[in-house]
Amino acid sequence: MSALFKFFASLRLTVILLALSIVLIFFGTLDQVHYGIWHTQKLYFESFRVVWSYPEQAPFYDKLFWLHLPMPGGYLLGGLLLINLVAAHFTRFKLTPKKSGIFLIHFGLILLLISELMTDLVSQESQMPVDEGGRSNYSQAFRSNELVFIDRSHPEHDTVHSIPADMLKPGQRIDVPDTPLSIRTVRYFPNSNVGRAQAPGMDNLADSGAAVKMNIVATPLEVTYTENEINTATAYIEVSGPEGVLGTWLVSNVIDERFPPQTVSLGGQDWEIALRFTRHYYPFEIELIDFKHDKYPGTEIPFNFSSEVMVHHQNPTKDQKALIYMNHPLRYEGLTFYQASFANQDTTSIFQVVRNPGWILPYISVLLMGLGMCVQFGMHFIKFLGKRRPGVQ
Amino acid sequence: MIRTLPFAIALFLGLTACDQAQPVTYTIPKEERAAPTPGRATEAATAGPTASAADSSKMQVLPGMEEAAQAAPELSYTVPEGWEEFPPRSVRKANFRVSDSSGTAELAVTVFPGDVGGTLANINRWRGQIGLEPTDAAGMQAMTRTVKISNHDGLLANLQGPEQSILGGLLSFHGSTWFFKLQGATGTVTAQSDAMEAFLASVQIEDPHH
Repeated sequence: MSALFKFFASLRLTVILLALSIVLIFFGTLDQVHYGIWHTQKLYFESFRVVWSYPEQAPFYDKLFWLHLPMPGGYLLGGLLLINLVAAHFTRFKLTPKKSGIFLIHFGLILLLISELMTDLVSQESQMPVDEGGRSNYSQAFRSNELVFIDRSHPEHDTVHSIPADMLKPGQRIDVPDTPLSIRTVRYFPNSNVGRAQAPGMDNLADSGAAVKMNIVATPLEVTYTENEINTATAYIEVSGPEGVLGTWLVSNVIDERFPPQTVSLGGQDWEIALRFTRHYYPFEIELIDFKHDKYPGTEIPFNFSSEVMVHHQNPTKDQKALIYMNHPLRYEGLTFYQASFANQDTTSIFQVVRNPGWILPYISVLLMGLGMCVQFGMHFIKFLGKRRPGVQ
Repeated sequence: MIRTLPFAIALFLGLTACDQAQPVTYTIPKEERAAPTPGRATEAATAGPTASAADSSKMQVLPGMEEAAQAAPELSYTVPEGWEEFPPRSVRKANFRVSDSSGTAELAVTVFPGDVGGTLANINRWRGQIGLEPTDAAGMQAMTRTVKISNHDGLLANLQGPEQSILGGLLSFHGSTWFFKLQGATGTVTAQSDAMEAFLASVQIEDPHH
């Protein structure tokens, strides 16, 4: 045990881990060309291991196509570095006034590693478009989808039963929570082409809903990682009640509110079935009062985007007015609203909505590290001055 | 001290395991079914000359829709008196706005491949946009009549809502469907019904089949 502990606390391990981190960042950067930043981050840094393959577009691919390079992912390296640093403190470092600066720096670093992990695991990012004069009480995550069954029978509220699209694995049966329904995924396409069938009735896996009425079929497409492109997720879902199969519906995030709702009925109750971008609802509405897009006079170059918003909370004492602009987000109820984009001839403002409970931690850790450096270098400086003084006299 | 190490590893692995989302049920305030769908910047269609109250039916553009609209044949027409014309934009082939003392109404001309779900579904979509309940085939007969648009048989639907109304022309034209939708304050739409009919009569769509 003590040999293992020594290994985890060794400086040699630190150096190896840092070297591997450099390698990981290097290959991650190479792959970012193909996958874009978001997917690369998932692949390389939010994982335990990753295999880099020789890119098809690179020269000599015909000779080097077999080249695959497995390497530890960000979670493994970050986790080991954290353990390494903590273990080192239990063995090699002793807290003395002389070393207090180093302790502060290390403590800041540990906090930074933990906060990064927390951000990966619990932070949520989504977008909320609001029209001028309009209101919105939800944001949408354009990279994830959910299968929803919506019960609109109650006069005062709607009930949403949601299943994350990640769970839609072909063949797998899932109970729709709090309903007598269950589903089985027949097909799931993360990206697809949804269009009219060439010949009516041909190969249509669906037998209910819009797919039959409008003769729509879906064909799979390669997933796109491009920043501004959206994947058209589509699924064929077989819905069953307690007495057996009710039918198979085609649902897709492009078959949205513009189309008549697709309904599943059982025993006099109706549910709207849809696959849509994952929504996050809030107990408040954001009203966009005015969106301003200022340009430098005589040019099309923007120098300011700003959104004047009014937050209407269910509890009116929490109502709030705010101006959101570059580097000046609105922080409200644990969420941060950034000015992200705009559309429709400057009449729609799009906010990036971020929920990150650990947002303050990196600030604290940087502060600690800065303080630690001041203490450590300050002590050296004072010692240096002390040594110099006799020589001057 | 040594005991903390396995604990740290377990905590780390435990934290990473709770990433998996699970099915959930939640309630939300009543949603209007025909509520405008906010679109993403790159996806959102332009909503017309202005985002006025008359245009509550903002729509997202499906991949390929805009191309289909651009590839659609050209259109000619006579603009009725008092109608303000705006340049075509996104999937709209033509845009107009008219105002009077009762309010504002907007006319949008759009074209989509196929039958877009059929006449009844389209009429019910429009009814939803002005706060009316969906109708059936028999009910639809009562609120539509046949009109000639560009030498073809089209339909003119007269949908009167409490505040907003729609006078809509539908035309099935060689595998595509043309929509001529005048939507706005009920008073304005009613006052413009003659102008709307005159407009529809004046519409000529370039016809490569004849």
